[in-house]
Amino acid sequence: MKVYSIHNVSKSINGRTILDIDHLELEAGRIYGLLGPNGAGKTTLLNILGFLDQPTSGRLNFFGKAVRFHETDLLLLRKEVVVLDQYPVLFTTSVYNNLEFGLKIRKVERAERERVIDEVLDLVDMASFKHEPAHNLSGGETQRIALARALALSPMVFLCDEPTASVDIENQAAIVALLKQINENKKISIVFTTHDRLLAAGLAHHTLVLNEGHLVSTSYENTFPCRIEPEKDKQVRCSITESAWIFLSATRFKSPIGKARVFIDPEKIELHTGETTTGAANCLQGKILQLMEESGRIRVVVTVGFLLTVILTRGKYNFLRPGIGDTVVVSIPQDAVTLSS
Amino acid sequence: MDIFVDSLQSAILLVCSLDREMLTIVMVSLQVSCVSTVLAGLVGVPTGFFIALRRFPGKAMLITVLNTSLALPTVVIGLFVYAFISRRGVFGPLDLLYTQKAIIIGQVILIIPLVSALTIAAISRIDDRYRRTAMTLGANRIQTAKVILFEARFGITAAIVAAFGRVISEIGISMMLGGNIKGFTRTMTTAMALEYDKGAFSLAVALGIVLMTLSFGMNILFHFFQGKYRT
Repeated sequence: MKVYSIHNVSKSINGRTILDIDHLELEAGRIYGLLGPNGAGKTTLLNILGFLDQPTSGRLNFFGKAVRFHETDLLLLRKEVVVLDQYPVLFTTSVYNNLEFGLKIRKVERAERERVIDEVLDLVDMASFKHEPAHNLSGGETQRIALARALALSPMVFLCDEPTASVDIENQAAIVALLKQINENKKISIVFTTHDRLLAAGLAHHTLVLNEGHLVSTSYENTFPCRIEPEKDKQVRCSITESAWIFLSATRFKSPIGKARVFIDPEKIELHTGETTTGAANCLQGKILQLMEESGRIRVVVTVGFLLTVILTRGKYNFLRPGIGDTVVVSIPQDAVTLSS
Repeated sequence: MDIFVDSLQSAILLVCSLDREMLTIVMVSLQVSCVSTVLAGLVGVPTGFFIALRRFPGKAMLITVLNTSLALPTVVIGLFVYAFISRRGVFGPLDLLYTQKAIIIGQVILIIPLVSALTIAAISRIDDRYRRTAMTLGANRIQTAKVILFEARFGITAAIVAAFGRVISEIGISMMLGGNIKGFTRTMTTAMALEYDKGAFSLAVALGIVLMTLSFGMNILFHFFQGKYRT
């Protein structure tokens, strides 16, 4: 069962397109991690999925039904979906009144409200805070009460904007455990945005990557500001830092001289263990900082004057067997590079 | 210096003995100011709320006009209202001139811009996340508006307190439209001006003490409630 189907949805503000998704389907009962840099359109997508914002164009289906962005329809839809803000706010009243707000709107009986509030407060392990003034809570406690306030409404979908970004490690672990628990026990579909690949890999069943408003299949990483300078032999030099650069064919890359952005496809980068280069062009030497399994592939972060992500197949990884701290050489072929101004 | 000390002594005596004339004046002042403040609140708060949350052409201009009208002299409003309610005015037949109603009309016109402007400021300060949180929890437009009003309650209360302070201490409108009629339209400020003209300071100082105490009391009350919700 598809909870959301998106077809050609775009969102523009002042003529600038900030979100443009051709096609996306999200299955019910699953957890989706939405990765992407700042300004990628993650929050915009979340607000559209939460029926808080209207797309400029395109079609959005919710459980198979086309969504009409009319206030009366949206009111009904919003009762099935809750968006949790990155920095949630609690109304300046008691914790109890905060939790009661959505239940009262849904005309839940008083006794039932009382039962649900006790249940969700137990779930977030904050039963003793029931009658505390909400404005006295810490950041982590606020996040947990906001989570409880959303859970009290038993939504079909729960959309969290950076759920662990603004809390300490202890609260992070509690929130991640809670999200897993409600997905497993209550079958609530969850979509969360994050910058944290580890969190996405650990919590999400599926990871989606947004970059500049588009869904991309590869990592959003490896995009760097650079400076393009002319070189001899019909080449240009693309300097990412003062000491790290790659040479590109001037005929292939017709980027103007000066400041630009370079994207290096992590799946096309070649990794060589040891300190010897293969003689290929654009070889940079560095050390492995991080290794991570991600959807059956291995993500390797190498420091080569800047942090470069390389994605290896499991077969390639088994062959090379790189270890953290190992000195490696990465070679960047021309077809791995995309320049933009 | 002696005249001040003497006046102060007899003023304190007047206040302590709850002088009948003084009480009547205080009651008229409170009655007129309270009604004006309530009416201006009923108009000014929704107006400010609407202006703060809606986008429409000329919004910035409207806010500028509202802010400018905060400095409107009371005598100008007095003159303006007089032109309408005097015997030769459009509303002359209603016989409003030199009544408490006339003072109330003038005072409402005086403080509607104040209440509106301060409400706009109070609502604009409320984080947009409150609106979005209410919406995502299922609130309709009215319920969302209630949440925003609730979050802005201290700012709006401050607007009402400021408006009350403005009307209870104004003199131009009360004098021009009320006529300073003893026991009927004589307010604290008009009585103080009259007593000053007569050179009798006791009642003037006594009324001054009451006026200051009222303002002080309202502010203390306001800060007490505000303090309860401050971290």
